[in-house]
Amino acid sequence: MTDVTLYHWEPNANSGKPMLALMEKGVPFASHYIDMLQFDQHKPEYLAVNPQGTIPAMTYGSRVLTESTAIMEYVNAAFAGPELMPADAQDAWRVRWWMKFMDQWLGPSFSMIGWSVFVGPMVRKRDPEELAAAIDRIPLPERRVAWRKAINGDFSESEMAESRRRVALGIAKLEEELGKRDYVGSDAYSLADINIFNSTYSLPLSQPDLASREKTPNIMRWLKRVYERDAVKRTWAMGKTDLAARYSLVMEGIV
Amino acid sequence: MDAVLYHGEPNGASLTVLAALVESGLDTPCQPIDLLGGARHKLPGIAEPLAIDLGIEGEGPVLVVNGEAMTESVFLAQYLDELAGGCGLQPDDPYAHWEMLMWCRQITERLSPAAALLGNLANSQASIAAIPADDFAALSASVVSDDLRARWQALHDGAVDAAHVADSEAKVDQAAARCEDKLADGREFLMGDFSIADLVTYSWLAGMELIRPESFVAAPLTAAWLARVAARPCVVAALALANHAEPLRSWAPGPEINRWG
Repeated sequence: MTDVTLYHWEPNANSGKPMLALMEKGVPFASHYIDMLQFDQHKPEYLAVNPQGTIPAMTYGSRVLTESTAIMEYVNAAFAGPELMPADAQDAWRVRWWMKFMDQWLGPSFSMIGWSVFVGPMVRKRDPEELAAAIDRIPLPERRVAWRKAINGDFSESEMAESRRRVALGIAKLEEELGKRDYVGSDAYSLADINIFNSTYSLPLSQPDLASREKTPNIMRWLKRVYERDAVKRTWAMGKTDLAARYSLVMEGIV
Repeated sequence: MDAVLYHGEPNGASLTVLAALVESGLDTPCQPIDLLGGARHKLPGIAEPLAIDLGIEGEGPVLVVNGEAMTESVFLAQYLDELAGGCGLQPDDPYAHWEMLMWCRQITERLSPAAALLGNLANSQASIAAIPADDFAALSASVVSDDLRARWQALHDGAVDAAHVADSEAKVDQAAARCEDKLADGREFLMGDFSIADLVTYSWLAGMELIRPESFVAAPLTAAWLARVAARPCVVAALALANHAEPLRSWAPGPEINRWG
């Protein structure tokens, strides 16, 4: 038995962060799969856990923790196991800086593209009335706006162009960073690697014109090292959709 | 270690870091710079400029350590606390620490962009608009971040998005209401003990008392808490560094409004 329960979707982007952090620390947890594409995260059973309807969420005893990066920091501080934050204060600052850069600047651009080409078309096949009702159940107004845009394909060309600009620039800066240090922000594997890996693992497939052995050798070397971690393999084995299959395709391409 | 803190007037992000530096007891030298003159984009001796070039927080302070530019006020406050061996600005308990991080993220994602927009429109837009065209072109060219440059340009052009203003006013109202809720149990500071949460919230909210007093009409606990934070020695010392007669009316382009609406 374990006191920790994680409510998560695929081992991808935000859901993948606490999954990987728990695996790296060796903390056993009960996995509660929330099917984002079925809007499980806005159903009453889940809203009873996290009234904001965002995933992931983690319960530990009677406490509920939300926000994937903050959950990771909690997991690292609260449990024994390998240290995932650098001891050096400047390295720790850099790790936090990169996580914010991903969470607030680069990640939303990845996700705008991902929602527009993947999530939107998937859910658009459903009954419109059912979809409208599902959106009305979303507690956070910002998330309602985002889902409506994704479902209706309402991202403007200028919004998409800006997201593409940010993705290209972010990848270039990550490549430079990994030319300076072995890992993101420091020379040891940390929460920044977990954070950024979860949004970049499929770049060689999804953005081959931006990320490849020839164009971004540092990113490819880093991706390979992270892919080979035991915790990553065990986390990926928990995937239920074809995202997991994409993982093995990327592996074949770079290893 | 070779370090210097470049900062603007003690308001917003600069105030948080100046107060944290005082609290830490570290003797890092401070160098005031003219944020509205674009000085932040012409700092000397920077080998690693990434955090200026792609920072999220806009025209916040820059701590340069051994040639690396460091930005983002909450993380700089954490850095100073940790470098000092823990000066009490962060809770030791992991759950309390998670609560503080969650609070700070709410403030920096929701309140900071809103306060910066309203603050700039009220207090700095006229002076940015008055920068002669050639000088503004040079300033603009020195800003590496496209999105930060766009925020400078909007202020220079006098472009006002009414929806952003209304949303920002609502976010200031919400921040005051959140503080009021948090303080309802009689606690002295937001997380119980004084912490980075108080510094970062005060730094963005205190100036809003001047610009949007209606946010505080139904928030007497918040008004009293603002006064308590203002009386903390580290905040008093940071505010004493002001060159501006009213530092809480001193603003420079800040974080971007959430692109997802």
